[in-house]
Amino acid sequence: MDFSRRDFLSHMTTGLTGVALSRLWAAEHRQQSHFHPKARQVLQIFCPGGASHVDLWDHKPLLEKHHGMPLPGAPEVSFQGKNGNLMKSPWAFQAAGQSGKMISSLLPHLAHHVDDMAFIHSMTSRTNTHGPGCIAMNSCFTREGFPSAGSWVSYALGSLNDNLPTYVAIQDLRGEPPNGKANWSNGFLPAQHQAVTMSAQQALRNLVRPQAIAESEETATRDFLQRINLRHAQSHPGHHELQARMAAYEMAAKMQLTAPEVSDLSKEPQHVHDLYGTQDANGLKAAYARNCLLARRFLEQGVRYVSLYCASRASAVDGLLNWDAHKTLKADYERHGPIFDQPTAALLTDLKQRGMLNDVLIIWCTEFGRMPTHQEGTSGRDHNPDAFTTWMMGAGVKGGVSHGATDDFGRRAAVDVTTVYDFYATVLHLLGLDHEKLTYYHNGAKRRLTDVHGHVLNSILA
Amino acid sequence: MKLFFSFIAGVWVQTALASPEGLLFFEQKVRPVLVEHCYSCHSAEAKKLKGNLYLDSKAGWQKGGDSGEPAIIPGKPEESLLIRTIQHLEEDLEMPPKKPKLAAAVIADLVTWVKLGAPDPREGGKVEVKRADKTWWSLQPLRDFKSQISDFKSAGIDDFISAKLKEKGLDFNPPADPRALIRRMTYDLHGLPPTPEEVESFVQKPDVAALVDRLLASPRYGERYGRHWLDVVRFGESNGFERNFIIDDLWPFRDYVIRSIHADKPFDQLIIEHLAGDVIGKNQPEIEVGSAFLVAGPYDDVGNQDRVAQANIRAATLDDMVTATSGAFLGLTINCARCHDHKFDPIPAEDYYRIKSAFEGVTHGRRVVASAEARVAHQQALKPLQTELTRLMAEQDALDKALNDRAKTAVAHLRFTRSAVDAHGTEESFAPVTAKHLRFVIHSFTNDYQGTPTKRVGGGKLTEFEVFDTSGRNVALASHGTQVEGARSAVAEDFPQAYGPQYCIDGARGEAWFIGNPPVLTLTFAKPERIIRVNFINARGERSTDESKVRGATPTEYEIQVSEDGQVWTTVATDEGRQPATSGHALAKARKAMISQEETARLAALQKQISAIQAQIGRVPALPQMWVGNHAQPKEPTTLHKGGDPMKPGEVIAPASLKVLSEVTPAYELPADAPEGERRLALAKWITQQNPLTARVLANRVWQWHFGAGIVDTPSDFGYLGSQPTHPELLDYLASRLIAHGWRLKALHREILLSKTYQQSAAYREDGARLDAASRLLWRFPPRRLQAEEVRDTMLFTAGQLKLEPIGGPGFRLYKHMQNNVSTYSPLDQHGPDTYRRAVYHQNARASIVDVLSDFDFPDTAFAAPRRANTTTPLQALTLLNHSFVLDMAGALADRLPQANAVEAAYQILFQRKPETMEVQAAEQLISGHGLRAFCRALLNANELIYLD
Repeated sequence: MDFSRRDFLSHMTTGLTGVALSRLWAAEHRQQSHFHPKARQVLQIFCPGGASHVDLWDHKPLLEKHHGMPLPGAPEVSFQGKNGNLMKSPWAFQAAGQSGKMISSLLPHLAHHVDDMAFIHSMTSRTNTHGPGCIAMNSCFTREGFPSAGSWVSYALGSLNDNLPTYVAIQDLRGEPPNGKANWSNGFLPAQHQAVTMSAQQALRNLVRPQAIAESEETATRDFLQRINLRHAQSHPGHHELQARMAAYEMAAKMQLTAPEVSDLSKEPQHVHDLYGTQDANGLKAAYARNCLLARRFLEQGVRYVSLYCASRASAVDGLLNWDAHKTLKADYERHGPIFDQPTAALLTDLKQRGMLNDVLIIWCTEFGRMPTHQEGTSGRDHNPDAFTTWMMGAGVKGGVSHGATDDFGRRAAVDVTTVYDFYATVLHLLGLDHEKLTYYHNGAKRRLTDVHGHVLNSILA
Repeated sequence: MKLFFSFIAGVWVQTALASPEGLLFFEQKVRPVLVEHCYSCHSAEAKKLKGNLYLDSKAGWQKGGDSGEPAIIPGKPEESLLIRTIQHLEEDLEMPPKKPKLAAAVIADLVTWVKLGAPDPREGGKVEVKRADKTWWSLQPLRDFKSQISDFKSAGIDDFISAKLKEKGLDFNPPADPRALIRRMTYDLHGLPPTPEEVESFVQKPDVAALVDRLLASPRYGERYGRHWLDVVRFGESNGFERNFIIDDLWPFRDYVIRSIHADKPFDQLIIEHLAGDVIGKNQPEIEVGSAFLVAGPYDDVGNQDRVAQANIRAATLDDMVTATSGAFLGLTINCARCHDHKFDPIPAEDYYRIKSAFEGVTHGRRVVASAEARVAHQQALKPLQTELTRLMAEQDALDKALNDRAKTAVAHLRFTRSAVDAHGTEESFAPVTAKHLRFVIHSFTNDYQGTPTKRVGGGKLTEFEVFDTSGRNVALASHGTQVEGARSAVAEDFPQAYGPQYCIDGARGEAWFIGNPPVLTLTFAKPERIIRVNFINARGERSTDESKVRGATPTEYEIQVSEDGQVWTTVATDEGRQPATSGHALAKARKAMISQEETARLAALQKQISAIQAQIGRVPALPQMWVGNHAQPKEPTTLHKGGDPMKPGEVIAPASLKVLSEVTPAYELPADAPEGERRLALAKWITQQNPLTARVLANRVWQWHFGAGIVDTPSDFGYLGSQPTHPELLDYLASRLIAHGWRLKALHREILLSKTYQQSAAYREDGARLDAASRLLWRFPPRRLQAEEVRDTMLFTAGQLKLEPIGGPGFRLYKHMQNNVSTYSPLDQHGPDTYRRAVYHQNARASIVDVLSDFDFPDTAFAAPRRANTTTPLQALTLLNHSFVLDMAGALADRLPQANAVEAAYQILFQRKPETMEVQAAEQLISGHGLRAFCRALLNANELIYLD
């Protein structure tokens, strides 16, 4: 696989010859895998704030038993300071599915999907801080400036459509995740590989023709523009960037037609709205549900990589904006659980019913886990980068399995310790890409998504 | 072009002869283990060699891998990395990776073998790795051209270019026509188009030298080339990472760069000021501000309590300084040697820490930067005011103390009839009353009166406020139709519900109302209610839950008032008779009970005087604070971090120069505890004195800024992974000229701009394109697209809207900045006239996106961007077609066009040429149907506007 040509093409479109205008954009973007892919698209669901593994996915019977007793070992100082004794989850865990996977009763709808999920219980992070943690979970690097996984996939595989972006980030109503736009940044990859942000609440930026301009004026203006651009291009033979820019204007026009159609949820039947909960009395849940539905519609239209956020940044608004339950775990997650559970489960159900799991790989992410102890003086949990859970399902993933495990209390990953490098090595593998071969030169190094690490998690492959 | 590689062959001479017994032991116990467990990653047959370590030959382990040390120290298993890794004594290097530890007996055999002296019969083998050594081209002294500063001509440049072209059978294009040339040069040096008048004048008299002089003399040149340099030094005005707070006082550094470049300050001086301006220019703001370079990068400032995380954050903060310094000035990636020796360049890990030690004393932050005279003047202005303030406060303190002493005695006599307020619920009952409105007026909170009975903090919280009717129903609930109002003490602009009073009536204790000023909660019921009781709650969890670090303050002194019409209010309950919430509160109550009217009046008078003095102090202009960093002598010497891990300190490393250049550039080494400022100055001098890299790297940047690509097109990487120079002799020639010109850029600009190479046409030629599509050999002037700032500035300028004054000062913003624990930046839909300044003055927050600039590849300044990307995307089209800014500019441009000849005037302004007949006809058709603005909008979207010949 020759990626140097790709470097060249994406850096500067000069040098292409004889490509039809309308195909030029797509041509640059239609790339090939290293080997046969199991998945063609990715749906990433991201719960920022450090969603607690021991309260959602990772059942720890001994934590219940030892509730109120000290965590064995020296008292620990973590991100926000000192920690108290072990604190059991406020929610009972229940067996679900054929696999009998133990799942928190906070997530009754998602419990129906455990037989399709491959849990990774032994995730670890290199940072205990939200911002660096979130971008690490997206780019494998704790500092900003590196391309997100979605950008790498866009760069490697290109677009599956010619009227929508390749990579879309759907923000939560409550705002941006920690470290904001760095989560879907193209980093040092060319700009076309960044995510375009759209959500049910927020249209694609600058998509709509200004009100002051009538349609007839728009048409006449574009016709004139096309004429003078063609004339200019004729007087500049061999200057293919000029044609690329004309093609980009064509694609923009197509986006202007398609994006509003895709975002128009009113065409969905009522039973679908009911399934997702888009009209729920809980405004935050309804907003997230609409974004879940939008995600499905993007995937149907061939958007390559969709990042869907459930919650936003770290905030002084205690526990409300994201899963960062430092102070009152129970009150906080009683808010977040219902927002997340039904709409996400509906999205999984919907994708499955439509047969889309043959193409779509679903990955659930958060930046790190939480301590099994409570934070001193609070009923919340502090950050825990030494153990957390993620899961995958869909194209190429074996369902109903768990990879790795934490210790008795969920304090540290103990069996088959896994990193974000392994996580994305696996994602790329499922997309038919060798994570060691997908490289891009930047400031003195041939960069990879997985830095210099990563092993494919074979145990969760179908 | 011929590439030359160099190899390091780790050739070791075998000196010790192994005994037959030792060799037998190797064959029986060691070789099988190595083959089975190690060769798949550490042999010539490995699919991918790991850690650059070969274990299939003796030479392989003797040379070692990325650690730079032999993998085995014969006789010393405890010091042998190979043994330590299989014993799992090296974190992150446990071998074999991802597999169970080898059997204890197997490990014991290998230990025995090493103790025996590691007898190994495997001669030969592959150990070389493709990489640079000290013979690498960029590390050599400059070629000697005997160049003379008085010999002002550019023939040299053209000779070098021409020679390379001839090798390929190519030649220069003919000279560019004057219109193209003045357009090219004006954009090149100013980032703006020439005016139609300037074009006409130049066409009449194409005096290129005069044009170059005029352009170089303008402040616009400083703005344009200053921006180039800001890219190189990763200048950004927020700290990045999670909090990404905005930095409002780093702009003086931006202005300093622009001013220095406009003034043609010698660049070696500029570099010294960047690294040690505070050392050489103490109390000289104009020099000191240069050292803001060190703290212009992103850094993590989150209040991390975890010790390991703190160490890693500090290491990453210093790494940014090492990376920025080595990339900007030396074109080296010294940062790649942080965890292990550089994999491709001859930079051992020790070198990284030698450079790092120069920055150990630097921390991010702001401080006063002022001249000695300004400091004295400021002190003199403040002194009498502060003396008076001290006197008044002493009097106030004495009076307060006397009052408080009396209150302490009086407190014992206070009597209360009811319990204190309770965070888990405080009830007030009253006779049944009909109310349409109810308000809770708060006078104090549990955190008030602490330490002194006069201290007020305020800012409490409530999770729930309940109002019960005669049947026991809570009629305050929003679900009952009740509406609520109340000021909040915090806002999250992007999440309007946050902190709001509605959380008091949502029936859940999860979220709290953050009580603001005035501290009044007002409820309006759906209909008049017959009510008898209220209950206010601050707690979030149960009583058994320890909330000592969670909860805010609870209201302690209050009134409950009701109204039927919202006009006339009746108080139905107060905190009267309740036990004080705290001992401080008790004192405050006692003091209130016994203070005399005279004392109250005297205190009020004093407070008035104090406030007046404080206001006067506030009006004395503060000394300027700038984000230039703070400096302190490091407490510990610098140590190597093994594997880049700050928790694994290795040997002490003294501040010193890079070893690889020691034969070319005079080296330095300071004591490990040398003053931190001296360290930076020594580094700065080493970089600027007889260092061939510095001159080459800078000369190459200048070339790139003129031609789009450098002679080396990886401008901050002159190492093995970087590109080779297309014209190595020319590069050295330019570097020599730069030095001969005293490191002043303008003279070098002149040589380049007056060359035939620069002034040739950009026209396309089949023969050239076939052999050199990217025009790197310069058979033509390479056409280019405008950069982000040029695109925006051009629209403003051609529309007659660009404000060139004031030059510099605080930047403008094309985003809305929101601060709530972390910063959020959201792009503006409308760009008002206050933003009609040159884009270089935009306050560039990290991880933010703004219209036009971000679309056209304005870099996210997480890293240095020594070369801008150049992408074409549909989002650019959407922005230029639909953002109100472009529409505004189209309108302004339409307004300034003359009625007659509007089309020609527009073409002259935007494209510096006359329109063709066909263009005029098409334009007039558009204008007659849809007006001049439609025509202008189309032209602002035209390719011709943003591509240069």
